[in-house]
Amino acid sequence: MTDRALIWIKSNSIDMNIAVKIAGVTFKNPVTVASGTFGHAERYYNLEEVKRLGAIVPKTVTLHPQEGNPPVRIFETPSGMINAIGIENPGIDGFIAQKLPALKKTGVPLIISILGHDDEQFAAIMEKLNAQQGIAAVELNLSCPNLRQKILVAQDPAATTRLVARIKVLSKVPVIAKLSPNVTDIAAIAQAAEAGGADAVSLVNTFSAMAIDIKKRQSRIGNFTGGLSGPAIRPIALYMVQRVASRVKIPVIGMGGIMTAPDALEFLIAGASMVAVGTANFINPRAPIDILEGIESFMKENKISDIREIIGSLKNA
Amino acid sequence: MEKIQNNYKVLVNERLCPQYWRLVFDAPSLALRTRPGQFVHIRTDEEGLQPFFRRPFSVYRARKYVEIFYQVVGPGTRLLSLKKKGDMVDVLGPLGTPFVLPPPDTRQVVMIAGGIGVAPMLILSDLLKNKKYDLLLLFGGRDRSHVYPMKEFKDNGVAVHIATDDGSVGAKGRVSVLFDKIGKNPGPSFVYTCGPDPMMKAVQSFAAGKGIPGQAACEEIMACGLGACLGCSIETTAGFRTVCHDGPCFDLDQVKFH
Repeated sequence: MTDRALIWIKSNSIDMNIAVKIAGVTFKNPVTVASGTFGHAERYYNLEEVKRLGAIVPKTVTLHPQEGNPPVRIFETPSGMINAIGIENPGIDGFIAQKLPALKKTGVPLIISILGHDDEQFAAIMEKLNAQQGIAAVELNLSCPNLRQKILVAQDPAATTRLVARIKVLSKVPVIAKLSPNVTDIAAIAQAAEAGGADAVSLVNTFSAMAIDIKKRQSRIGNFTGGLSGPAIRPIALYMVQRVASRVKIPVIGMGGIMTAPDALEFLIAGASMVAVGTANFINPRAPIDILEGIESFMKENKISDIREIIGSLKNA
Repeated sequence: MEKIQNNYKVLVNERLCPQYWRLVFDAPSLALRTRPGQFVHIRTDEEGLQPFFRRPFSVYRARKYVEIFYQVVGPGTRLLSLKKKGDMVDVLGPLGTPFVLPPPDTRQVVMIAGGIGVAPMLILSDLLKNKKYDLLLLFGGRDRSHVYPMKEFKDNGVAVHIATDDGSVGAKGRVSVLFDKIGKNPGPSFVYTCGPDPMMKAVQSFAAGKGIPGQAACEEIMACGLGACLGCSIETTAGFRTVCHDGPCFDLDQVKFH
């Protein structure tokens, strides 16, 4: 073995823990992908790199197949995008038959994002998922703003508590509540989820938004409105994550415009136990891996041996 | 597995006519893997995220180098036009479903392009030349500033016909005024089209009337380019399909143009 190779092994053998534990599940690192931003892994992504992710959150699945919203579904905005996809998905049976096997093959813990149009549908999806092996956790999408409902579960503390409690009783795996930022006080909703027995909360989903074509005087989005994501929302998302992390005892999964490792570190310092990379996947498909490597470099440079020394370490909180 | 994202060195970035540019970058392995109708997804602002999305470009030619043909229409393409020889471009590709080849008994291949929609036709003619087809390009541009020599097509043995809206070059009118250039009885024909939706809709209706099968290369606002975000879906007879992954090339009779 050459000297150079030996030096490399030594520098990488520093005892460093980047694993995080949420509701008894150990994730080998705190970097995951946000629901709806990561697909066709088998065709485009290097499998060895996908295996390095802390967790994978596939696109939200509903009870029945959904064909999604009419075009135009997305619009580019300053440092961000508006989307109104409408949760196009093959339904839970299709997901289990067509998508789950390949996802399981990665060996990466799977957090399955689910959405019901009422509590009964959530329960029906949950029962089908209970029959599956190899699922690390379930994420309740309480907050998708694209389906023209008058009020979202995530905008109603009582409904949040009730739904989380119902699924918590059913589920064989930990239950994560994904929160909408389109509320007056997101910490109150997080506390409502905690009261329902949620094992963790994840935030934020997209901000309700629109863009107008001034020539046609029409909304640019086929669904009329959509959800804003990307670095444009990052400072607001960070604020909400910090606020929620300081108000609940359960772990927080933070997301909202994370593009780089420094962005992710901000969320971890603010109190997130894990971070999800979303819209960045559309610009740089390797973003989650770049971010993971950046977090590791930051820890090495600052001689931090355990990721837990970073999580919630905000000094002037 | 080849990496999907790479940085390539710019070899040429030139203006072909007032409206259109050609960018050539050094990517032999990408060129080898690219088929007609596929596209590359280019990050035009690597640092500032302005614009935020990558920009999709049909591959114009893929031999030793990869060439794209583009029009400066907004901030992304403006930044691209500033790239100099020796600069690097951040490219995802090759992406998307390529054109299918004409059925074996085809005699005449008609390429119908509007403006920048001519981009995928050169690489297609590179593949189809010397295969005993009668190759025809019907090109429609707004005016003289949208027309360039198209020598590469002629070198491939393509009969080029041009129409401009104002008649400043070629026939006056939309590209549909050139439909009579299509050979009447050369044997079975196949059509490829790319351009604005109203043009492709006209081509679709013309081809359906003549019983000519074909393919259309479609466009929509695109984010990931990888079939992940489902943002670029268009309406087809089979439901919503992504331009980036299921397309950009679809059977002509499958697309619901607006």
